[in-house]
Parts: sequence; structure tokens; C-alpha cells
Amino acid sequence: MDVMDKQLSIRNRNLTKPAVYAGLIVILSLLPLLIKSPYWLHVFILIFIYIIATVSLRVITTSGQFPLAHAAFMGIGAYTSAVVSKELGWTPWLTIPLGALAAMVIGILIAYPFARLRAIYYAVVSLFFGIGVLQILFVFEKWTNAYGGLIGIPYLLGATKVPYYYFFLGLTSLCLLALYRFEFCRIGTNLKAIAQSYMVASSVGINEARYRVIAVAVGCFFVGLAGATYAHYNVVLSYTSFDMLATLWLVLYAIVGGMGSFAGPIIGTAVLMVVPELFRELKEFVPFLSAGILLVVVFLMPQGLVGLPQLVRSWIVRRRERKAITHAS
Amino acid sequence: MELAVISLVNTLVLASMYILVALGFALLFSIMGILNFAHGAVYMIGGYICYGFAVQLGINLWLSLLLAVLIVASFGLFLEKFCFRPFSGNFDRTIVVCIGVILILETTVNLLVGYNVWSIPEFASGIIRIGAIHLSAERLITFIIGGALLLIMVWVINGTRTGQQMQAVSQDPEGAALQGISIHRVSALACFTACGLAAVAGSLMGAYLSLTPFMGSQMLVKALQLVILGGLGSIGGIFFAGLVVGAIDATLPLFISGAASQAIAFGIIVVLLLFRPQGFFGRKSG
Amino acid sequence: MLLEIDGLTKHFGGLAAVSRLDMQVNKGEIVGLIGPNGAGKTTVFNLVTGFLQPTRGKVVFDGKNITGKKPHVIAELGIGRTFQLNPLFADFTVLKNVVASFHLRPKSSLLATYFNTATYRRNEAYILEQSREILQLVGLDTVSDELAKNLPHGYQKMLGMARALAIKPRLLLLDEPLAGMNPDEIDFSMAAIKKTRQQGMTIVLVEHNMQIMDLCDRVVVINFGHKIAEGLPGEVRRNEEVIRAYFGGEYVA
Ligand SMILES: Nc1ncnc2c1ncn2[C@@H]1O[C@H](COP(=O)(O)OP(=O)(O)O)[C@@H](O)[C@H]1O
Ligand SMILES: [Mg+2]
Repeated sequence: MDVMDKQLSIRNRNLTKPAVYAGLIVILSLLPLLIKSPYWLHVFILIFIYIIATVSLRVITTSGQFPLAHAAFMGIGAYTSAVVSKELGWTPWLTIPLGALAAMVIGILIAYPFARLRAIYYAVVSLFFGIGVLQILFVFEKWTNAYGGLIGIPYLLGATKVPYYYFFLGLTSLCLLALYRFEFCRIGTNLKAIAQSYMVASSVGINEARYRVIAVAVGCFFVGLAGATYAHYNVVLSYTSFDMLATLWLVLYAIVGGMGSFAGPIIGTAVLMVVPELFRELKEFVPFLSAGILLVVVFLMPQGLVGLPQLVRSWIVRRRERKAITHAS
Repeated sequence: MELAVISLVNTLVLASMYILVALGFALLFSIMGILNFAHGAVYMIGGYICYGFAVQLGINLWLSLLLAVLIVASFGLFLEKFCFRPFSGNFDRTIVVCIGVILILETTVNLLVGYNVWSIPEFASGIIRIGAIHLSAERLITFIIGGALLLIMVWVINGTRTGQQMQAVSQDPEGAALQGISIHRVSALACFTACGLAAVAGSLMGAYLSLTPFMGSQMLVKALQLVILGGLGSIGGIFFAGLVVGAIDATLPLFISGAASQAIAFGIIVVLLLFRPQGFFGRKSG
Repeated sequence: MLLEIDGLTKHFGGLAAVSRLDMQVNKGEIVGLIGPNGAGKTTVFNLVTGFLQPTRGKVVFDGKNITGKKPHVIAELGIGRTFQLNPLFADFTVLKNVVASFHLRPKSSLLATYFNTATYRRNEAYILEQSREILQLVGLDTVSDELAKNLPHGYQKMLGMARALAIKPRLLLLDEPLAGMNPDEIDFSMAAIKKTRQQGMTIVLVEHNMQIMDLCDRVVVINFGHKIAEGLPGEVRRNEEVIRAYFGGEYVA
């Protein structure tokens, strides 16, 4: 099975090759020796966290549904872990898994009633649900201080950046490994089968509702994990990190990178988060830059950024052909 | 008694504004199959353009409103042709385009406005007395304009040939095309109308409350609330949902804090969605 | 008796697509279900396989009442089917279409699947081998690495049947298996259906093509959701009401 799946994505073969990933991890683990600026370490740490979030989002989209509530689940993980560790004094090492589980449980609870919704209806309703779920924060205002911002969250690894850098590099690699296996075993195949035709899938005995719930459970667990670890790194939480706009940004990272492949959301997240930082001097004009990237990708790259090498290759081939024709005539 | 009447008027004002925006959003959804996340930003830009004409250029307020509506509606034509049509039926790419549009609009306004909080002058001033009850003319005029436009929209959709073509396209685009209805024309018209309505709401709300570059996302959430509660594709449902949400927003804050009232409103809707994900009036969808 | 349909009725709004239909299928039989377009044949298949809920009536499969059960449960009980419009896993290869359809037997648990245990690997190896066998049976072994969406129409139809066979069904429902095929493909498909039958499969098929009716042990004719005739293919073809239904109505081959 796994071999066949790789054959299917010949396009991105060099991206999905484990060797490339291993090399990348080695380079990334040497990076803090070169980059001493805490600011850039912070940027990298955030990218690691958001990669978990966007790749987990894609778990749900492989089942054919487009969830627009993902940042809210990140928020559930973050606030659960933060509030429990702050109020009850538990160690973050315990509350982080708890936060991830909370996100997963709420995800499962909504996945069942929503299992009969499909396509754009699912997207709209989940979008709304994400906004609604976040309102829980305001009900528990006393603990979450949702408006003012929650402070005093215990650190996971103290106040310096480097330990976090290595922690998140390791965590993100592990999560990616786990989700990669998930996609390329029969479970992932079943999800893709449902996405292509839920009728055919159920006619061969695949329980659509069950697998869709599994996808949501896994997706929410990992995004909850991302949120919870974020809480104990950032130690300050504001609900705007998890609102509708935050969800749409997660979705954008994934789409711009390319939803069609495992590497897509990773690349999209990295590019869309790094580029604005590179051009920080532009200040309030930075959003124009992001908008520019979005529009270029959406109009010129139907596969997203992962399709870029192929696009360039076919462009070169076409140019060569055209040259050959002009020479011949 | 006075409280009740004022709450009623506030409900009607908010409801009519919400419905104006939600109706446009729903129109685009049912005819073109897109979720126009930029609809809130369009609403916001409408308010600012009206302000620019009326206050910065000193043009007559009503003329400013008309100009703002025409400009924003034409922008709708641009959106339809260059942003929506190339991606029709492609859900994820329309999201990207819409966010791109939002970023551009909000950032532009943000750059021009900075931290200033502006407000459009009142469209009508004074207090109207009915018996023992005092009502601000501003609110009445807002509701009257909104209500009149909504009535016109209902008439257009149900009573005119264009409206029937819109309904035909929304129910069965291929069948409509076979009957010789131009889908592009209908889509362009829908986008023109939807953006125009949003601009009206943006201008009126900019006078009723105030203008901020981010008022768009709040209104977008309201529009979504209405569209989801009412069921996608049901105009009657949107009106009903508009009244419900308007009533919640207008009256609950009188009794409990704003945050809690929002949470309760959302809670009600979330619970409803769990049992009836297709909304009050929506058809079951496959 | 393998399948027993008892008073099956389905209303769509005011329209009775299927009306009080009784029908039996014995083990090892090929039964033809025929009727003009819109007669309700596809609806019967959808009712039997759980894609639609009947308004009234009962479906019993192998002694078990399966009325109103979910499609995947019915598949698990042993009813395989194809679809008239023949949706596929379009972005999978031909081989993967069949492999993915081996969801039921042999079945690995979620954990075994995820952790790639020896059992899972053994199961998958067996599935791969079986899939190739099925593809050979339907003559698709030469194109097993093509994407399903790139296949010609006739091949796609055969892929639909291969997929249905992958669940190792005891009853196979084929909805217009020959529609849109050229004569060569028809001959090949008929041979494949015959071979499947010889392996002991029970089959119900909907088809306009009269050629295939000669394959059937028995034919049930419906029109406007009502059964109007039942019998041997030869008898039915001479039945007056059937002739009227076909030639009086808008029969499209
Ligand atoms: N899901 C549905 N909703 C409404 N009407 C349907 C539906 N499915 C089938 N019908 C109607 O039921 C009748 C029988 O259709 P069908 O079973 O597809 O006929 P056949 O397969 O014999 O050509 C037709 O009139 C068709 O329009
Ligand atoms: Mg049919």
C-alpha cells in the first residue's frame, strides 16, 4: 500500500522522501548555533507549532470535508491546559495531553451530528461552530480572562528560547511522522476513498461516519496539542489567536502550500510565516505582501506552492519547444 | 412600556441591517456557490466611502450614500469577474481570493485611517414623540431604509423575471443555462446587488454606531449567524433569523453583560445546530 | 432463498417510484430486473443496499431482515453492487481502486493497521494478490497502474464490477453493466459475468440490452414501480403487457 501511494505522488517524490526530511531536521537542529537572535528563534518555534496545526487540518480535509473551526480547537487545547495548570497547579507535562484530549473529545462530540453534512454546508456550519465554541471562553471568563488576556501560565521549559526550539523541533517531527503513517496506511486510504466517492466507499463496506469521526478526532487531538504546547511557551493567551480569522489563516497556510500532498501545508506554513518576517521593515504594508503571495498562488499555481517545481519544469519544456520551432522555421 | 418599544425599535434596526448583509451573502452563495468571506470587508468599505464623500469632501449626505453604493456595487462586478468566476466551484481557492481581498481592503483603510474613530453624520436628527414614547429619528430612518430595501429585494426575487432567473440558476444552474439564461449575467447582477446592499448597511451602521476597519468581521459573523440559523438558501429563514438575532443583540445586553449575552446567543445557536444542522428552514442536504 | 423483497414501496414526494414490489432471488441464480427508463429499477437497488430508506416493505437477505440498515452494514453482510452512473475512486489507480475496496475481508484492526503489524502486512499482501486476480478476471490487469479517471468508459464499468467483487459478496447487484460499451467490450463483460456466476455468485442485474437477458434464469419486469411480469426470458419477451410497456413508453436502449 505504502509503495503504491508513493507512486501516486510521483510529482512530489523528492519532497516526501524520508531522506530529505532527515536532512532537513539535521540542518534545523544546527540552526540555533548560527542564529542567536531570540526573535528569529521565536519565529521558528511558532512555525513548528503552526505546522502541526495545518498538517492536522489536512487530516480532516483528506476525508473530503473542509472544517473551518480548526483554530478554535487549538484554543480549546491551549486554554484547557493553561487554566488547569494555573488554577490547580498541575505540571504542564500533564495538562498538555489533557488539553489535546479535550480538543479531541469536543471534536468527536460535534463530529457525530455533523456527519450527515457535506461539502460547503459542512464548511459553513463548522465555521459557525468554531466561533460558537470559542464563546465558552467568555462563559468561564473568571478563569480564562478571555477579554483582557490570560497571563501567569506556567512555563514548560523556562524563559529562554533555545530549549523550546529543540522541544518543538522534536515534537513537530514526531507529530509529522505519526500523521504521515496515518495518511499512508489503510486508514488514510479509506479517508481518501470517502472523499472521492462516499457512495462507492460505503458500498464496499467503509463506514463513512466512523472514518470521518476518526479523522476529526485525530485532527483535533493534534491541533489541541499544538495549542496546549503553545500556551506553555507563550505563557500569555488571547482569544484572537483562535478566532474565525485565525482559522481562516490556518486554512490559507494549508491551501497556499497545496492541499493535495502531505508536504503542502508544511511548505505553506513556513513560507507564509517567514516572508512577512523577512520584510518586517515594511511595517503596516506587510499585509499587502501576504495578499500578493495569496493572489499569485491562487491565480498561477493550482496545486499550491508544492506544484511550483513542476510548473517551472513544464514552463522550461514549453520554452524549449517554442525555441525549437522558431529555429526550424 | 417605553423600554419595550425602544427594544423593539433597536431590534428592528439591527435586524434590518443584519438581513441586508446576510441576504447578499446568501444570494452569492445560492447563485454562485461561493462563501464570500470578503462580504464583511465590502460592508466596511461602503461605510468609509460614504464617510469620505460626506465628511472629507463635504458632499450632501444622501448623495454620498448613493455614490458609495454605486462604487461598491461596481466593485462587486469586478469581484465577480476577476475573483469569483475564475474559481467557480472551487471552494478552497475562493477562500484564498477572499482573504486576499480582505487583507487589501482592511490594510488600505487601516493605513488611511490610523487610530481615528470616525462616524458618519446622522441621516436624520431629532426625537420623534409618539404618545409618551421618545424615539430617535436616526434609528427610525435606518430601519425605514433597511426595511424598504428588503421589501424591494423580496419583490425583485419573487416578482420579477430577473428574480425568477436568479432562482432558476440557484436551483439548477445547468437547467437554467439550457433554458437560455445567462449565468454570468445573473451572477454579475447578484454580486452587484449584494455588494450594493452591504454598502447601504455599512453607511447606515457607520452613522448609527461608528466606523472601524475591522467592523467587517463582526458583521460577517452576524451574516453567517443569520444564514446558518435560517438555513442556506431560504430567504424567509434569513428574515426570521435576523429578527431572532437582532432581538438577542438588542435586548440581552440590557439584562446581562455584553460578553455573556454573546455567549448565550452563540450557545443557543450551537445547541440548535447539534440537533438541526441544516438550520430552521434549510433543506436536508446530501 | 437468498434475497426476499416483500411489499417494497418508495415514495418521492407524491411520486411512487416503487410500489408494493415482491421479488425473490434464489442462491446461484441470475435474475434480470428490466423495465423502461424511470421504471424504478435503480431505486430498488438503492432500497436493497440501504442507500434509500423504504416508505414501506421489507428486505430479507439470507434470513436476516436488512430493511433500513446502513449501506456499509449491508455490504458487510454480503451484498455487493455497482452504480448506474458508475462513480469511482477517480484519483486512485485501477489496482488501488480494488485494493481500497478490500475493506471488509480480511480485516485488520485500526491499531494493527496503524502500527503496521505482521498481521496487517500479511493481510495487505493477500489483498494485493487477490486484487490482481480480480483484475485479471475482468480483464483490467494490463491497465492496473492507470488512474481510474483516465480509463475509457467500458473499462471503468468493468472496474466498477471488480470493486464490487472485492468485498467477496454473496449477492451481486449490477446496474446496467453493459451501458455505453462497444460490442467487443460487451462480449468481454458478458464472459466475465458468466465466469463469476460459474464460481457460484448470485446476481441480480438491470439491463436494457436484450443479449444479456439470455444469460438470466429468470426475469422480473417492472413499470412505474409495479411488477408487471415475471418468468423465463423467452416467456417475458412474448408477454403483451411487457411489449406495450416497452414500445408504448419511451424505451431507450
Ligand atoms: N432521489 C430521488 N429523488 C426524487 N425522485 C427520484 C429519486 N431517485 C429516483 N427518482 C425518481 O424515481 C423514478 C424511478 O427512477 P429510477 O429508479 O432511477 O428508474 P430506472 O433505474 O428504472 O431508470 C424516476 O421517476 C425518478 O425520477
Ligand atoms: Mg436506473
